Amino acid sequence: MTGKRLRLALFVVLAIIQLSVAAGAIIRSEIALRSGEVYRFKLRPVDPVDAFRGRYVALRLAESNAPIAESLPYLHNKKVYVPLTVDDEGFAVFGQAVIDRPDTGDYLRLRCGIEHTDESGQRLVSLAIPFQRYYMPEELAKEVDRSLWRRGQRPAWVAVRVRAGAAVVEDLYVDGRPIREWLADGGPESELTEPGS
Amino acid sequence: MSNRSIRWLLAELPELVSDGVVDEESADRLRKRYPEPSSLSGSRLAVIVCAVFGALLIGSGVILLLAHNWDHLGRPMRTVIAILPLLVSQVFAGWVLVRRGESTAWREGSATLLALAIAAAIALVDQTYHTGDDLESFLWRWSLLLAPLPWLLNSSSVALIYLASLTWWAGAAKADRLEVIWLWPLALAVVPHVVSVLRENRRGLRAANLQWACAIFLCVAAGLGLEWRVPGLWILVYTGLFALMIASGAAFRHDEVGLWRRPFEAVGVAGSVVLWLILSFDELWRHIGWHHIHNDERFHEAASLFDVVLAVGLPLAALAVVALILDQKRNALQLLWMLSVPVVAVVWPLVAASEDSSFRWIAALAFSLILFVVGIGTIASGVRTEHLGTVNLGMTVVALLVVVRFFDAEIGFIAKGLAFIAVGIGFLVANIIMSRRLQRAEGDSP
Repeated sequence: MTGKRLRLALFVVLAIIQLSVAAGAIIRSEIALRSGEVYRFKLRPVDPVDAFRGRYVALRLAESNAPIAESLPYLHNKKVYVPLTVDDEGFAVFGQAVIDRPDTGDYLRLRCGIEHTDESGQRLVSLAIPFQRYYMPEELAKEVDRSLWRRGQRPAWVAVRVRAGAAVVEDLYVDGRPIREWLADGGPESELTEPGS
Repeated sequence: MSNRSIRWLLAELPELVSDGVVDEESADRLRKRYPEPSSLSGSRLAVIVCAVFGALLIGSGVILLLAHNWDHLGRPMRTVIAILPLLVSQVFAGWVLVRRGESTAWREGSATLLALAIAAAIALVDQTYHTGDDLESFLWRWSLLLAPLPWLLNSSSVALIYLASLTWWAGAAKADRLEVIWLWPLALAVVPHVVSVLRENRRGLRAANLQWACAIFLCVAAGLGLEWRVPGLWILVYTGLFALMIASGAAFRHDEVGLWRRPFEAVGVAGSVVLWLILSFDELWRHIGWHHIHNDERFHEAASLFDVVLAVGLPLAALAVVALILDQKRNALQLLWMLSVPVVAVVWPLVAASEDSSFRWIAALAFSLILFVVGIGTIASGVRTEHLGTVNLGMTVVALLVVVRFFDAEIGFIAKGLAFIAVGIGFLVANIIMSRRLQRAEGDSP
């Protein structure tokens, strides 16, 4: 009987852990969405038609590298803090990656990928971006699929709320408009904005 | 004794009594010792299968419904939908644990439902907030939350789901060049459940299925879990693994009948044949060993060391089982099937030590010989014990070797032709000797 009691007690503990993993993710995301700072991350020009084939848009940031100081060790697969700043156009820029949590300002906690050096000799490290997917209902995906013949590269960015290292995608913008609005106005068949305009 | 054997014995008893082989009293004692197996066991099994598949389908259906992405429901409603099925299946599984703990059908069904509800909850939260990275991260979180369930709820179907998700995670992580060193410690989570099932009824269906899952998991995981820093180390790992499977399968067997109930031996034998065929090509032995070690920094030190531990430990463990536990007289055939362990222990260092792998043809030839010797030995053993399955296994091994060598472009046509003719003559001579011996034996007997 005691064996059964112990099993039940352990099961209750496990059930609470299972619930709290799901609930924790919800709470963390809600806090970030409600009180986090908005950052706009410029995406590589997307071909929305291709991107919608699945049930999510694969988000590829235009810049996913961060500079690192010469003094830091080899960082492959290690987690670092990356401070966020904003450039003249209002898009987010990755600051120099550091090992310790910054005291001020917003930051992301990201895993490092491959390291390389640019022309000026600056050490750069690629970052595993946690917001790589924007999930969409399947009808929308199909609707876009049907207008396959009008293709073109569209400028796009993703708005992300950042708080205490957690980042949650708020919305995806194509041609400067929220994705749903853009789709409602014809989506891929709407007029193509000239890149740079 | 299996149910089939008991039924056979009970059917034979009346005739044995009337022939005077056993008396009526002994027959009664035998009937008491081996009561008629209940025909209920079949329908009980059907109930369990229905419960598991019911739960599996309902759970998968919920996941599909959620995957539709109910955009217009809004975040609060979607969070409720994510948490609610999880909460309901947790309460259900808890209730089964307390009130229906003895029923396999209730246990397996409720546990399967819970396993899928966890997946649904994680997936929907990821979908709602566009978080949670890629497939690899999803499988990792799911596996961690599943790990204690097989033991806690005494559920074999969840153990199978867990091993599958763990393997899938390791595959996805390996594809992304991430560390999979946690694969082995996490896999240990099923051990308490396997032990309890084997203790309960080692000849039952659950025990057999679980052992099959473990054997197949080990085959896949041995490759996925490796860091691959020293080229060719996999040869030692897999040779040792299959030999260990054959040895321990035979050593811990308690007269289980049929291949289906001896999964470790079956997987070990099948794996060995495939491995030896692959290793009988010298291309596989090119650039192996410490001269060709990868030295860049993306390799994980501990994981690389663990590779070496496996490569040395698995063959040694196989030898230890043979020396300490295995009844060597009764399992001579199994011993023969472990021939590759001593061979690889000599050949691997030899090829690795030669800087340009110039001895690799010796290794390839050695594995052709292993296939030949083991094949012939298996046929001989099958003939001796009059076991047709064993004869067929041996013939399959020899036939596969012949086919592979026939199409081997590395060897010249003349050498190949002469070798084939020589071996063919060998078979004919053996045939003549054996049929002479048979005639003599028949002549001796009245």
